[in-house]
Amino acid sequence: MPFTIVSQGTFTQPSTAVNQIIPLPSGADYFTTTNLTQMNLAPNPGVCVRGEWYGGGLTANNDGLRWKKTNSSNAINIDKFSTATASNGFTYVTSFQPPQAALTGTTITNANPAVASVTNTYSNGDQVVIYNAVGMQQISGMTFTISSVSGSQFTLLGLDASGFAAGATSFQVRRVNQFTPVEPSFLFVTKVTQAAQAQVTVSQANSVYLGQKLEFTIPGSFGMVQLNNFNQPQSLPAVVTSIVDAYNFTINVNTTNYTAFAFPASSGSPTTLLFATCAPAGQSTQFNPITGVQTGYNFTQIPFHTGQFIPYMYVPAGANSPGGSAGDVIVWQAYKMETGTINAPVPS
Amino acid sequence: MSFSTGITGIQNMAPELPVQASEDLLSTPMFNLIHSFGVDLHHAESYVGKTTRMSRFERLSTEGGQLDGSGIDPASEVPVRTDIDATMEIYAKSIVTNEQVVLWENSKTLTKFTALLGQWLREKEDLLMRDLFASSVSYINATGGLNGDQPSNISLNDVNNIENILLGNDARSMLTNLEATLKFATGGVRDAFIALANTNLCADLQKVQGVLLKSAYPTQEGIRPEEYCSISRFRFFVSSKAARTPGISLKGNTIYTIPMYGLEAAAKIEQNNYTAVIGYRPPWVVSSVAQNSQLYAKFAIARAITNQNWISGLNVTTFQPS
Repeated sequence: MPFTIVSQGTFTQPSTAVNQIIPLPSGADYFTTTNLTQMNLAPNPGVCVRGEWYGGGLTANNDGLRWKKTNSSNAINIDKFSTATASNGFTYVTSFQPPQAALTGTTITNANPAVASVTNTYSNGDQVVIYNAVGMQQISGMTFTISSVSGSQFTLLGLDASGFAAGATSFQVRRVNQFTPVEPSFLFVTKVTQAAQAQVTVSQANSVYLGQKLEFTIPGSFGMVQLNNFNQPQSLPAVVTSIVDAYNFTINVNTTNYTAFAFPASSGSPTTLLFATCAPAGQSTQFNPITGVQTGYNFTQIPFHTGQFIPYMYVPAGANSPGGSAGDVIVWQAYKMETGTINAPVPS
Repeated sequence: MSFSTGITGIQNMAPELPVQASEDLLSTPMFNLIHSFGVDLHHAESYVGKTTRMSRFERLSTEGGQLDGSGIDPASEVPVRTDIDATMEIYAKSIVTNEQVVLWENSKTLTKFTALLGQWLREKEDLLMRDLFASSVSYINATGGLNGDQPSNISLNDVNNIENILLGNDARSMLTNLEATLKFATGGVRDAFIALANTNLCADLQKVQGVLLKSAYPTQEGIRPEEYCSISRFRFFVSSKAARTPGISLKGNTIYTIPMYGLEAAAKIEQNNYTAVIGYRPPWVVSSVAQNSQLYAKFAIARAITNQNWISGLNVTTFQPS
């Protein structure tokens, strides 16, 4: 078995194309994508129809060979994804990645939701850590899911900063892994309402599940310390009673008479205690034998489990990237040599 | 015809083989394994799925309960059960060895490789438990240090704050006390919770007010080599692989995460008969011409934070980032 396909598959991009993560249990020496949808078309402008990645360090991160059709033609030009005009290419990930290089932004608005201005190549749904947010240090160090991403700004749907005294006048941001090494993970809490069933807002999207139990850690600087587990009757963890949207959910705790939840002032940094968080504390399955309805259990997400299979190939979406655009059908294939490497092949 | 004269030395008569193998291998580096010994060990049975459930009953309410003599019974209470679930996962590593390695180049190769795989088993398990602590626990930013960063370097106030949280949540200490003895420059060590820190924090730990370095414990008997010091109600264990995230403090420095916990805060679940499997596949199985053999190691593990009340911790930076 000198050189063979070890795994292969297809994916179809949804109506909003997303970056793909393809697990490669045995690694790969060579990886390709072929855009079956675009291969028999001749779009204008031309798009990437095939991508190639070589292992052994021959291909840099976020790069690879780009087979691109010329405008309104079936003629193929081959260059690298890093060649002008550059587009995102393959990244082969073999270990949990540290935060990416920092970008320096100009402003974060004190609005609902907050909007951050920074020249970037991020994508919708990416996770970023914002730090050194001058004028808004109370969020420095928090992880956010970003949306409405353009090349110059993104929105923090999980942050209502309208109560902040001012926006940030500069900040730094790093993109981090989509998942933590273990899920479910702790989350940053950005808002808790005073209500019979409190509504909680977290900074990251789609991270909480119906029936999940949570333990809150609210420093005194955030006000609502009554939500801390040791202040709850019988020290019971809170139970998620409904999912409002990607960032919001309700819990079975009546916070009506609790101290209002509010971020501390930026000027308190670095001596003010941060952050308000909640952490997974089990689950509560609800079964109604009268209606026969069971709620509150998600066998995939609630049990503690590895957040991201490693190694994997990161295949970014985009007309000039290997992941393709909305509706595109992409075939991917991973090849491997059983012995030797691409740098030191062994005849067999 | 000319010929060389003089003394025959190693300068003009170099050895035919300029190297010889020492009789013993040098040590294979191994980092401190600190992330498993403070957690509970559970076992999962075979044939009943890959999700393990650990359950706990929450305590009953202590409100009311007085009988007034009227004969009316007090309201009964429905107990609350909390279920903690964890998914079993399998990890494996193999080494495929060509027969020529064994024939010509090395002695006892398979034995040495087996030892390597055994070390991999322990290291991988340790890192998996580290990742659990780093991902699924709420941490408090240290603020009592003087380095001006957010979080700051560790201070006694920060450590005491975590003790308050754990005691407020009725956590039980993990380690028994070490009674004071009549030894110069030593002091007693209270029953303590566990704290797991990166070795890069050792210099900072030494500077924390009230620190008792391990050498100042009243006894060294039974003290693990990974232990570094005691601060307040915590005994600190260090590893070069303990959790850290580079470049995201206020000043762009590395943030170190220190899990601090008591009894029954976390669990490691082993699959019965799959705890640590090391195997050998002979050449006639691996290779059609019987030239390659394979050693492999694999294990199954599930991980869980079993009680968030009894675990907390600190995010810290170092006083002088390197």
